[in-house]
Amino acid sequence: MLEIKDLHATVGGKTILKGLSLKVETGQVHAIMGPNGSGKSTLSYVLAGRDGYEVTQGSVIYNGEDLLKMKTEERAAKGIFLAMQYPVEIPGVTTMTFLKSALNAQRRTRGESEYDAMSILKLVRAKAKALQVTEDMLKRALNVGFSGGEKKRLEILQMSLFEPKMAILDETDSGLDIDALKLVAEGVNALRSPDRSMLVITHYQRLLDYIVPDRISVLAHGKIVKEGGKELALELEEKGYADIEKVPA
Amino acid sequence: MTAAAQREARRTEALDSFRVRGMPHRRFEHWRYSDLRAVLDAGQVAQAGTAKWQIDKLPDGVELFDLATPEAPDWVMQKLGNVGNRRTMVEASLAFAEGGVALRVPAGRKIAEPIKLQIAGQGNLRWLIVLEKGASARIFEPHTADAGILRNVGVEISMAEGSELQHVRCAPFMPRSFAVELIAVEAAKDAKYRAHFANFGSRLSRTELHIVLGGEGAEAHLSGVTVLGHDGHSDVTTHIEHAAAKTSSTQLFKHVAGGKSRAVYQGKITVREGAVGSDSRQTARALLMSPRAEADLKPELIIFADDVKCAHGATVGDLDAESLFYLRSRGLPEKEARQLLINAFLGEAVAAIGDDALIETIWHDIEAALPRAMESVK
Ligand SMILES: Nc1ncnc2c1ncn2[C@@H]1O[C@H](COP(=O)(O)OP(=O)(O)OP(=O)(O)O)[C@@H](O)[C@H]1O
Ligand SMILES: [Mg+2]
Repeated sequence: MLEIKDLHATVGGKTILKGLSLKVETGQVHAIMGPNGSGKSTLSYVLAGRDGYEVTQGSVIYNGEDLLKMKTEERAAKGIFLAMQYPVEIPGVTTMTFLKSALNAQRRTRGESEYDAMSILKLVRAKAKALQVTEDMLKRALNVGFSGGEKKRLEILQMSLFEPKMAILDETDSGLDIDALKLVAEGVNALRSPDRSMLVITHYQRLLDYIVPDRISVLAHGKIVKEGGKELALELEEKGYADIEKVPA
Repeated sequence: MTAAAQREARRTEALDSFRVRGMPHRRFEHWRYSDLRAVLDAGQVAQAGTAKWQIDKLPDGVELFDLATPEAPDWVMQKLGNVGNRRTMVEASLAFAEGGVALRVPAGRKIAEPIKLQIAGQGNLRWLIVLEKGASARIFEPHTADAGILRNVGVEISMAEGSELQHVRCAPFMPRSFAVELIAVEAAKDAKYRAHFANFGSRLSRTELHIVLGGEGAEAHLSGVTVLGHDGHSDVTTHIEHAAAKTSSTQLFKHVAGGKSRAVYQGKITVREGAVGSDSRQTARALLMSPRAEADLKPELIIFADDVKCAHGATVGDLDAESLFYLRSRGLPEKEARQLLINAFLGEAVAAIGDDALIETIWHDIEAALPRAMESVK
């Protein structure tokens, strides 16, 4: 699905990713753990194609194509989805209007027919219910005044609506209480499928109790420094990142 | 003296006053960003002729007087040329316009149907509306794009106690014309003036409002959108005088400027002595879509009274990069994402019109103007 090789990236003139290599297999849930500031969000932005995140070396191949050559919106249409650590508030754009425009834009780019307003409304409502995204939230301006948990739920709602091939969840668990965490994890698990991969970024073992990963990679100082199966999370929980931090960058 | 003779005398006075003061220019107070004298001379104003007006269907209950007829009735004579300050371009329209229209809404009449006053062609023009006690009306004033070299419109709005007027003016993109509209409003006790201005820019476009809230409880609520591209220019200059107690005013102006355009908003609020308990709010914001575009937003507050509330803010910025990324990462092409954010920015000011049909009309015009406004010129 996704193969990252020797990726170097700079932000604001500072090199954050320093030779990161990672392979995400099709159908797998791959967790990324790592200390604050290690470059997890930077990696997710580079994959999503955010301006200002400059790749200076290395490659990212997504389903046989050079991901780094694609525009942000093209990546989205091709199935890359990033659930952001801090979803952006956009006043003046209602959530429902946004969902409709985004879904139809992706479909248009893929050469598929657009949905009419009614079908989208039905689709959104059905999915919103399971994630407890209320009718009121859909009517309000996108993310404006939403609580931390509501924002994260809306991110997952989008994921379920867009049905991406490669979903990147950047600390979707942060700021969630235990009920919300279960709700979100259920939403994510429902989307697990043999043709969909997920990159789940988190600090905590807790999320991985609910979304059990196939692989875990540890990111520190802009590189993957350790890889293993789901048991690695427990080990990290016990020992912390102290050992890893010692690994020379 | 007959009405015709009186009008002739007033016209001569206006002519003299315009001759003495001449064209407004950058050293005139509040004409700094619209140097009319640099691009147009007084002779051209005199020779521009008279612009046209048209009302296809006058709602029942509204009285109309064609200003081309010399013998005017009393209600016209009392107001024509007497509302507001005698600013130089106001005097010019009075001196040179051979026509125009005056409207009267009798006491207590509530006219729900909008009066559509279309303004077309090159030249000077006057229009006047008198709302008697407790009357209410709505005026939709679309301007057509055929202003030739100059269109100079002088507007007088006289509002008696408890009257209400909703005024929506739409100025199209006229890259080769100079467009000036000066509006004077006098509002008596509890009168409410609501206005919305949509501006799409011309070679030089000046919309100037002078509003006197002269009676207790009088209100003025202004909003507007300006969407500019190419070399477009739009200058909205307002002066609201709170001259009585408990008067209130709100202003909300949003500008989007692309290409090499220039958007100007100057908003002066004067709170006169004795205007206690008055409340004024003013917000002006601009989005710059191009490094060569410019926005000048100048709020100004002058307060002579105690116990008043005044709030104002002005910001100039560009589209938020984070929002843009968020939308694009969800599949919206960059252009569409930008459009969505611009519309979101303008939305509040358009919604302030409050009338669905007019809101739709204005959105339609905005949509047509956006491709120009979204052009970035280095
Ligand atoms: N625009 C920027 N300019 C300079 N440095 C930046 C910029 N954005 C991020 N950084 C730096 O890059 C480093 C990695 O940040 P990043 O957000 O990727 O970390 P993270 O692993 O996601 O951390 P956390 O666990 O706290 O979310 C940090 O040191 C951060 O300060
Ligand atoms: Mg992060």
